Amino acid sequence: MKKFFVLLKVSIQSMLLSSTNSRGRSRKRAATGLSAVFAIGFLGLYLSGLYSYMFMKALAPVNMEVMVFIFMGMGALVGGLLFTTFAVKGVVFGGKDNDLLLSMPVPTTLLVASRVIAIYLENLLFSIFVLIPAGVICTFVTQNGVGHSLLFWLRLGIAALALPLLDTALSVLSGALVAFLSARVSRGALGQNIVTGIFMAVVFYFSFNLSSMIKNLTDNATRVKNSLTWAAPVLWMGEGIMGDWGLLLAFVLCCIVPFALVVVGLGRVYRQAVTAFFAQSTQNHYKLAPQTASGQKKALLKKEMQRFFGTPMYFWNAGIGLVMLLAAGAASLVMKEKLLAYAQMSEIHLPLLPMAAAVIGFCLCICPIAAPSVSLEGKYLWILRESPIEESSLLWIKVGFQLLLTLPCTVIAGMCISIAFGFALWQTVALLSATLLFAVGHAAFGMLMGLCFPKLDAVNETVIIKQSMAAVLAMFAPMALLGIAAGLYYWGSKMAQWIALALPLMLFAVFAAVCSLILARQGTSMLRKL
Amino acid sequence: MLCIKHYSKTYPGGKKAVDDLSLHVRSGEIYGFIGHNGAGKTTTLRAAAGVMDFTEGTITIDGHDIKKSPVQAKQVTAFLPDNPDIYEFMKGIDYLNFIADLYDISAGQRTADIGKYSDAFELTDDLGSPIGSYSHGMRQKLALVSAFIRRPKLLILDEPFVGLDPSAAYLMKGYLSELCQNGSAVFFSTHVLEVAEKLCDQIAIIKNGKLVQSGPTAELVGDSSLENVFLELEGER
Repeated sequence: MKKFFVLLKVSIQSMLLSSTNSRGRSRKRAATGLSAVFAIGFLGLYLSGLYSYMFMKALAPVNMEVMVFIFMGMGALVGGLLFTTFAVKGVVFGGKDNDLLLSMPVPTTLLVASRVIAIYLENLLFSIFVLIPAGVICTFVTQNGVGHSLLFWLRLGIAALALPLLDTALSVLSGALVAFLSARVSRGALGQNIVTGIFMAVVFYFSFNLSSMIKNLTDNATRVKNSLTWAAPVLWMGEGIMGDWGLLLAFVLCCIVPFALVVVGLGRVYRQAVTAFFAQSTQNHYKLAPQTASGQKKALLKKEMQRFFGTPMYFWNAGIGLVMLLAAGAASLVMKEKLLAYAQMSEIHLPLLPMAAAVIGFCLCICPIAAPSVSLEGKYLWILRESPIEESSLLWIKVGFQLLLTLPCTVIAGMCISIAFGFALWQTVALLSATLLFAVGHAAFGMLMGLCFPKLDAVNETVIIKQSMAAVLAMFAPMALLGIAAGLYYWGSKMAQWIALALPLMLFAVFAAVCSLILARQGTSMLRKL
Repeated sequence: MLCIKHYSKTYPGGKKAVDDLSLHVRSGEIYGFIGHNGAGKTTTLRAAAGVMDFTEGTITIDGHDIKKSPVQAKQVTAFLPDNPDIYEFMKGIDYLNFIADLYDISAGQRTADIGKYSDAFELTDDLGSPIGSYSHGMRQKLALVSAFIRRPKLLILDEPFVGLDPSAAYLMKGYLSELCQNGSAVFFSTHVLEVAEKLCDQIAIIKNGKLVQSGPTAELVGDSSLENVFLELEGER
């Protein structure tokens, strides 16, 4: 057992270090890291709280609160599965320390358990962020007072702890399949991108149809519940949280047993699995044809492109905003009425122009493409350092690559929204100016974060892209800026329309200018110090 | 070709890895750099290649200061670390083209040189495969090919023989000599003293960050062997 805890400590340390970048040296960086973690937590709690409220408000009057827990449980399960399936490939099977640890006198089951628990902790966060807000909403909105009992919270806590076990078991199995296919299929990255794309399309579909789904659910709650026999464990979880201890126990067993089976089973074949997954397919018949030449900048851009599109983890974590920008543009054209109705669900009626800017800004925030790019160089940084390239060019190419992707998507989304909602020319110009300035600032800011919080020695790409401080700050700090811009708009609108527009525009212009200036002046020396 | 003057490197924490090192590698020379683990060889090579920053001393390559004119200095240099990590998401041929683009090598020249060196190192068949699927030796060969296609005036190699099979090592020695015959210079570190003794025109021995001996191989070795000279200088015999 001592060995297990030693291995677990290493796994958790690795996770924490990748998140805070502190290494126990800089309290300032550690504090920034924790702030970012809290920011993510707050956002997660807010979003799940909002969805729980929407469901609970509709279902509590018909005494079907249980359905909220069933749906939120399903959400946590599917969301966790998506976010950790691809992480499994790196964390469980692709650790750089595999050779070292496999050569040590440690049972492989313990090694597997320590790594799988790292995935469990990630899923646990998901489960807590989704189920606890639902419990809080239940406490305030429920009609039968079920949320007011201490035992309710005990049952909810047990469910929140158990659900990620099931999620982890499924993630490890699907992650193993992904790792196996990646090693066997020559275009594995394309396959992963297609699968994730289909999943995201389903998520978008449900998001856009949420209001009509809630209405249908309210009208047919009992029938819907009875039809969910295929998702029995989650059904039992919902009933268990609401008071049925027997079903809660059945649910817990349904989570523990698969988890234990996966850990023990994988422990027995781990060595073979790691060997099989990383014996990549090769083509031993390349015929050298005349090559073509291109310039330095084109070569560097092509390299960034190959890494971005060839690494599904990178593409879907840092590029999801691009997909959302295009989806938002297309949706505004084809679903204008539905979107207007959705926007009016809020009790505060906001003008369309700042709302459109906020939507585009949010999508840009979740495109931290430049932020992890320096850390992704990691062990390869020597190649760029020994090459005859200006150091500043390396940084601007990375910023430029992000802009190459975000600027066209921003223009497309902005134009589509403007056409769909009939914006006047000046409104379209204002929307595009604000969002393009924000996009420029965001790219330069992300690059700065990448240089301030490098993670060159990460054990795998997953921790850089999903957990690094640079990526987290590049997402959430600009979101805070969007909040300030919204505040300025509100304040300015009390004086004059042009002031309301000018203030956020000025803020974004200053953001872009300051970040670009700092990057131009300090970026090279920061890169040299890495 | 390579001129290092009063170069020192102190790591954060105060450890002095290299202390006031000066040496000169001339065109047409193969210069060996030997010393214990941790003596400061890699630190010196990385600084000379412009990969690592330093504060004391000057390093010039073909007359270009590596700190003041890094791009010009690197344009005529190729560097190979002891364990070359190469982009695993690229195919072998993509990496060679990437390097060729960074060094502005024409299409005709790169096609000819890639063919020449990858055929010699028996790598051509695998150039279409992702580098992630390469063995350590194949990566080493790919890194070597990427260095040779640059036709560098100065080739800096850190432990180049580690991981190479005997035939590849033999080939590499031939190509190093060929480079020098064409007026280039080679500066490399090694622990294989027999190879250094046979291959190098000049040898420098570094101990605890300080240069303890340097000069033409024949003069340095005399009637003894490089192994004996090295061990005596290191105080182990």
